[in-house]
Amino acid sequence: MKQRLLAAAAVLVLVLAAPWAAQGTELKVGDKAPDFTLLDTNWKEVKLSDYLGKKNIVLAFYVLAFTGG
Amino acid sequence: MKAYQDDIAKLEQSDTQVLGVSVDSPAANKVFADQIGVKFPLLSDFKRTVSKEYGILNEEKGFANRATFVIDKEGIIQHIDLGKAAIDPSGATQACSLLEHKRSSQ
Repeated sequence: MKQRLLAAAAVLVLVLAAPWAAQGTELKVGDKAPDFTLLDTNWKEVKLSDYLGKKNIVLAFYVLAFTGG
Repeated sequence: MKAYQDDIAKLEQSDTQVLGVSVDSPAANKVFADQIGVKFPLLSDFKRTVSKEYGILNEEKGFANRATFVIDKEGIIQHIDLGKAAIDPSGATQACSLLEHKRSSQ
């Protein structure tokens, strides 16, 4: 019984913490950046690995086009 | 994104490429780039996979939250700005100039 209660409490903590965990990235300074392949405005593929060893990258995520900031 | 364009000279000086990313289509990004005069690439994460992988996808609304990652030439994350802090490029610009300073003094 006690174990079940503990398990239930653990699940509850996880469920309650989830929305906060989802707020920010799990990546931290010092982590390897996940590689990506994305399309530019000419539908050409751009990869992070294209730039490795050549350029530092500022990867700026913006919410939506045609909005400020 | 316009603020990053304004800082582009400083960023290029520190051997840095700026890449904008959103969940918009390439076609929408093209119009947006022309409209605000952005010269660096705007990339389309239409499938939301990269926003998810970087942990900043707003699952409820389906778009990426505002965030900026500075990645060095070895592919290591050196600086992160999240939310409103990422609108102002100065943190990222400074991080890049520090990176180049470190490199040139090595």
